[in-house]
Amino acid sequence: MGLNYIGKDYPRPDGIQKAQGKSVYLDDINLPDMLYAAILRPEYAHAEILSIDTDEAARMDGVVAVVTGKDCAFSYGDNIRDLFPMAVDKVRHIGEPLAAVVAETQYKAQEALKKIVVKYKPLPVYVDALEAMKEGAALIHEKNGEYWHLPSIHPIKGTNVAGHYALKKGDFAKAEAEADVSIEAEFDYPLGSSSAIETHGAIVCFNNDGTIDCWSSSICPFLIREDLARTYGKTIGDVRVRIPEIGGCFGYKSDVFIEQTVAWIASHAKGRPVKWMATRQEDFTSTLLGHGIRTRMKIVARKDGKFLGLQVRSYHTTGAAADTGINISHAATHNATGPYVFDNCDLQGYSVYTNTPPVGAYRGYGHQEAQFATERLVDMLARKMGMDPFKLREINYLLPGTVNALGEKMYVTNGVITDCVAKVKKAVYGHDKPKEDAEFYYGRGFAALMKSPKGAPPQTKGCYLKLNKDGGATVIMGGAEVGQGLRTVVKQIAGEALKMPPEKINVYFQIDTLYSPYEWQTIGSMFTTMGGRAIIRAAEKVIAILKKNASHALRCDEDFIEYDGGWLYVRNDPDVRIAVAELAHGYMHPDGMTVGEVAQATSDARLPRYSGFDGNGQGNAGVTYTFGAQGCEIRIEKKTGKVTIDHFASCFDVGQVVSPNQIRGQVAGGVLMAIGASLYEELKFDKDGKILNPHYGKYRMPKASEAPLRSTIEFAENPDAIGPFGARALGEHPVIGVAPAILNAIQDAIGTDFLRIPVVPEQIMQAIGKPEGKK
Amino acid sequence: MSGRINFKLNGKNVSVELDREKKLLDILREDLRITGVKRGCDTGVCGACTVVVDGKAVKSCVFPGKNLEGTEVVTIEALSVDSVHPIQQALIDAGAVQCGFCTPGFVMELYALFRSKPDADDAEIMKALDRHLCRCTGYETIIAGAKAARELMKERAAIIL
Repeated sequence: MGLNYIGKDYPRPDGIQKAQGKSVYLDDINLPDMLYAAILRPEYAHAEILSIDTDEAARMDGVVAVVTGKDCAFSYGDNIRDLFPMAVDKVRHIGEPLAAVVAETQYKAQEALKKIVVKYKPLPVYVDALEAMKEGAALIHEKNGEYWHLPSIHPIKGTNVAGHYALKKGDFAKAEAEADVSIEAEFDYPLGSSSAIETHGAIVCFNNDGTIDCWSSSICPFLIREDLARTYGKTIGDVRVRIPEIGGCFGYKSDVFIEQTVAWIASHAKGRPVKWMATRQEDFTSTLLGHGIRTRMKIVARKDGKFLGLQVRSYHTTGAAADTGINISHAATHNATGPYVFDNCDLQGYSVYTNTPPVGAYRGYGHQEAQFATERLVDMLARKMGMDPFKLREINYLLPGTVNALGEKMYVTNGVITDCVAKVKKAVYGHDKPKEDAEFYYGRGFAALMKSPKGAPPQTKGCYLKLNKDGGATVIMGGAEVGQGLRTVVKQIAGEALKMPPEKINVYFQIDTLYSPYEWQTIGSMFTTMGGRAIIRAAEKVIAILKKNASHALRCDEDFIEYDGGWLYVRNDPDVRIAVAELAHGYMHPDGMTVGEVAQATSDARLPRYSGFDGNGQGNAGVTYTFGAQGCEIRIEKKTGKVTIDHFASCFDVGQVVSPNQIRGQVAGGVLMAIGASLYEELKFDKDGKILNPHYGKYRMPKASEAPLRSTIEFAENPDAIGPFGARALGEHPVIGVAPAILNAIQDAIGTDFLRIPVVPEQIMQAIGKPEGKK
Repeated sequence: MSGRINFKLNGKNVSVELDREKKLLDILREDLRITGVKRGCDTGVCGACTVVVDGKAVKSCVFPGKNLEGTEVVTIEALSVDSVHPIQQALIDAGAVQCGFCTPGFVMELYALFRSKPDADDAEIMKALDRHLCRCTGYETIIAGAKAARELMKERAAIIL
């Protein structure tokens, strides 16, 4: 395909504004007459609320309103309506909103908060899915099963199981009986946080004319709009949501969550905007967490290495509400196959209520948690069978022509995993491993991976494309820029579709539900695929309008007119032509009379034939896949147990690279994020549900010096059938193979199979039978 | 804890009423509406709030307001008046800007470093970068951008702030 602009680097449209600190993020918005909210969090992770005394707080200087959840009559949620903007009669986790103060300044709001007195009756606390599932466990939601929920969700009434999902393919029991070898183990990917450097925040104003304004650091403005309209009895158009620059998302700003709490608070201070910004501590305790998935996995195989069956029990510590986590449980269950063919699957996932903050999206969305198990277990199986792990994988890859667990057939247009494996294998295993020396053990590890978008059938992305009088174009969309660089991608795809240089195209910044075309949510690494297609569709419409306008100017039928981005001309006589600039707003005859249409169009695009699940838990619930491979070379310091990543290699079949520098940035960033999860990060709870490390001092995210010393980042390009110009999704994918690759490398280095992350130096020191790391 | 404090902000004298214990970050963002400085953690770890006080990079979220008297404070705003500073340009060119929230902090850290040590070696650069967190980039591009900034600063030494 002769591409002019796709596959080349262009400057980010937002680069200078961001580097100069001029970009406006949520906390930079200061509205006239604005009030500030501070939110009280409970002392217990699970308790009945006996009383909340707000009298003294209400009398404090500068206080406008003190708010509790007492009169809140609604719950909300996209999937299960089990979320409350503020605790009503009980608290279910340690970070839940319990009461709030609205005041003239942030300081006054916080001071008044200290005066609120709450009496509780503590209840049993469960911080792990397996505890909450035990016979006789106290119910965290007495109404489990009664909340409105999507038909794809199956709560088990009278238990803490908010959703049970089962996928059945073939006959696992029969496969197990026929198998020569089997292996099973339980893996744990514990709770962590997306932890963008910008915390969550929102501003909400209940205007006196009955409309609602909201600003949020969120990637789902249209869902916020619909949800606020529903819960406050407004028409959808009466709610306007604006999204300024977003300081990182990584998943946890994907769903309607804190906006409902800030709206509830603001509804008690009508006529004035109310701002709330999470402190870093609140960002950990009171926004959405990630992971919390235990995976019990069994693989059965023939002695020649052919996998016969996969059994999975996935237990998801989904937290005090399951609305935002339930689909992650589903994704973690049906994607637990990793990039392999299993003709017989018995996969079951439990999304379980616990007294921990709700889990929401985290880059990878169930895939890394599940495939951490798959890729470790496949390595362990290879060792058990005395087989080369690459060979064992090769026999079983989901290659074109095979069928995945969901029943979807794979085509070469889904990508070819072996192309990725070959590149990573060469980068990591193409030379000898250093020999153990006095200071270090050395190890190498590998993991293959796949990811589906995990969205919803109606998901779509809109585009509004208009040509300007100078022959350039403006593209407005509803996709949230969170750092991934979609504005650059929009310019490139629009340039390619309109056959004009990206320099002539300018793109949107703020999203505003009043003016931006509809977009469901900017999730699932789907912006390039779906948004790109929407741009192409809009461009086709605009070009058709230009041809119509040109037919007046050139006095020629439209189907004889060609378009090249700068000109419209008669096919058989190209000298008869007119510039795009002269047709952007219709065509003006020499006498001034004007005919034709403004060259502008809207469009949208969704994934073709995306479906929910059938009775066996199967269906077109993936549609598009990206395959990849990752590997690493590590060294482990004998004295301290410290793991250093000497080299990390990744390759993904992305169909067509759109922006070389940006895609490299996505991979490097994703890899380091998952290195954090593998070696440092875990949000720790005590048995009472208190969070022990809700701050950067103890929740250790990787620093610059902890990045891989060397990176190999490569791509395979087997063109996609859906994405624009053959491009396929790449955003979340780089986190998926990291933990298994590192833990496989640790096994290679010291012979210990770790089944849980993060693996910290103390554990390594224990494993190698030496006293705690001496400094 | 009250009274006025006087200091220099981006070359201009300012005077702020200190009615309670405040950190420099609160004074900049709330009293003076300087929004290029970002609030990330309030515990002096993430570095998004980094500004330069008397030539040194400091984390303004833990810098006591009472220590400001007579100091000279430089924020990202001073480097962003009517042109793009070489450090900013180098980071942009390296692809080190993604969500951008941590970027002003990194810029100010490097500004303090290269102003005092134009020939800072790679280890010194890494030490400075390690005072910051970035969740987007994996640092690869930030490290490359910082090294490029060192050279670009020297090239343009005569004309820059």
